[in-house]
Amino acid sequence: MSPGRTGYLFALPVALFLLAGFATPIGIVAWYSLMEPRTFALTAETTLTNYRAAFTEGYGPPFFWSITGAVATTLACALLAWPTAKMLHQLAGRGAAVLTGLIAVPIFVSESVRLFGMSLFLMPGGGILAGSLRALFDVNIGTVLNTKLGVFLGMVYVHFPFMLFPLLLGVALIPQDRRDAARDLGASRWQILREVELPLAMPGLIIGALLTFVLCVGANAEAAILGGQAISVVTRAIEQRFSYAQDWPMGAALTMLVVAVTALVVFPALARIDLNKLIRR
Amino acid sequence: MTAQRPRLPQTLRRPGAGGMSRRSVLGGMAAGLAASGLPGAALAQDDGIALLTWDAYADPRLLDMWRSQTDVPIRYEIHISDPTSVNRLRAGETSVWNFINLNNPWAREIMYPEDLIYALPRDRFEPLYAQMFEKFAMPYDWALSKDGENLLGVVQRFETFDFVVNSDVISPAMAKDEGWDLFNNPDFAGRYGILAYEDWNVMDICMGAGIHPFKPKTEADYAKFEDTARAWINNAKMITTDFVQLNLAMLNGEIDLYFTGGTYTASSARAEGATNIYAITPNSGPADGKGGINWIELNSAVANPAGKEATFDFLEWITTPDAAEIVARGNGNLQPVSQMAQDEVLGRFSADELNAIQWDEFDERIANAVEFDIVPDYDRLYDIYSAAIRDRG
Repeated sequence: MSPGRTGYLFALPVALFLLAGFATPIGIVAWYSLMEPRTFALTAETTLTNYRAAFTEGYGPPFFWSITGAVATTLACALLAWPTAKMLHQLAGRGAAVLTGLIAVPIFVSESVRLFGMSLFLMPGGGILAGSLRALFDVNIGTVLNTKLGVFLGMVYVHFPFMLFPLLLGVALIPQDRRDAARDLGASRWQILREVELPLAMPGLIIGALLTFVLCVGANAEAAILGGQAISVVTRAIEQRFSYAQDWPMGAALTMLVVAVTALVVFPALARIDLNKLIRR
Repeated sequence: MTAQRPRLPQTLRRPGAGGMSRRSVLGGMAAGLAASGLPGAALAQDDGIALLTWDAYADPRLLDMWRSQTDVPIRYEIHISDPTSVNRLRAGETSVWNFINLNNPWAREIMYPEDLIYALPRDRFEPLYAQMFEKFAMPYDWALSKDGENLLGVVQRFETFDFVVNSDVISPAMAKDEGWDLFNNPDFAGRYGILAYEDWNVMDICMGAGIHPFKPKTEADYAKFEDTARAWINNAKMITTDFVQLNLAMLNGEIDLYFTGGTYTASSARAEGATNIYAITPNSGPADGKGGINWIELNSAVANPAGKEATFDFLEWITTPDAAEIVARGNGNLQPVSQMAQDEVLGRFSADELNAIQWDEFDERIANAVEFDIVPDYDRLYDIYSAAIRDRG
């Protein structure tokens, strides 16, 4: 048997698994999105009513907030993760593992639990932050709870590790001698960052950005727990259609639009990175 | 009211029932899997029973007591909303579930006419109604088919569900008099929260708009509903599905009141001493002069031949004093149950616990509330409501 054919044979179980577990559900959702609103049958006449409704019945704000929130969170996480990743890389073997562990451990705790914890921390009056400041320093502060800023802080807090860890891999791709050479040739810090470090770390940065963006587009808990629904995100709108509205076709159409938006971002970005390069290191 | 003890189910009279067994352990594992969010259909169908229910019947103490006394496995899933669960049965999940616990109209109006639930043997279950409050004396319409011939379930939890105030800021007497107009009052803009139990929010907004929630609407009614929905949603300080967050926000002074709420959302905080969290049922409103809504849960047997007899046993067993007490304390939220008409059950609750459910005002609340019903044209109202939510931010 040729090596190529053996490769296909080995890939077959995974391919079948993906077909059954990924492609088929997406196919069902896509088909549902073409059914009449508020119906449950899959065999009726197809219609584009739900897609028309998605553009005419006020779903713009939820899409806007989800996409804007995802972009803003991705940028903020990248800005925070870059210096953190560089610091952790430089500390390798000298406490980096402890720091990395401290950042990673919260991922193992339910997101909702973490957000409720943050809610208790930020609560005014008897909240941990406000109450402590008043008790210790007689300082009264307000709160960002139930505001757009509260949602943004929660998004950054929850998604930061998803940017950091791929970026750590990316930063590891930068050879120290390239930096030294650039410095010896008179490059400024900004030039080293822009012309040496960023291009070399780009695969990690793009993967981190993709992970963060995709997770943020699908995020709902931050707006619900920290934001008091100060904004309505698209996943919330989808949930409403599937649950209280019992309008599965409309929920399916919105889901397909989110998948489309995500694909529009993910595929061009993936085309720009060489995963092999990242893995071989 | 006579307080005759219910007859014990057959399985409870079986000698040797109880104790730990492989089946009970497996049942526990199944319940754990169900709790972890796996769909019921994914679980093995055994000879146990499966509950599609509100939270009280998912209380681990209740499930453990059932398992230890009967050796019959039991698992559950908690509802999202009444119509969602009815649609699940319609979609074929009658083969998955055995017990369904929904608000009063669904059995009579939808589930029984559509053959989704069984009629119960009247000779076995009707005597249970004699041990409940006078309100439920037979013939009790919500528990009977439309022709009055068939008994469709067993009533247990019931209460009103309207709104909650911080009594340190808003006097309960004033709140009862003002009723839903409190949320129309611009002085309270930004001072209230919304508990996003959205089907209930729709009913409350009807009340606030001066519309009977359970009667057909005119175009003028829809316009009033939309104006009220947008005003209430835009003026809300916070909207959440978690009533603990709302209670904490009241205690921290962020908000002074919230809807939808009642002793179901207030009782656990009150039991811990926060008695300024106060459930209100308005003295009057647009629903035949009433402003409150009285929900009554009816426990029914899903039309699933597998486990039918065990389900009947369970329906009878939950009315026994020990089980009824746990249901009343279900998952930490104290709620009145119909068996509290019996001194033996009522006597199990301390003065503090009765204060937590504002027991002294219970009859007044029920008297001032219209009984829960299916909202005509709910879809259109919900679409208006959800559009207002989307426009909020």
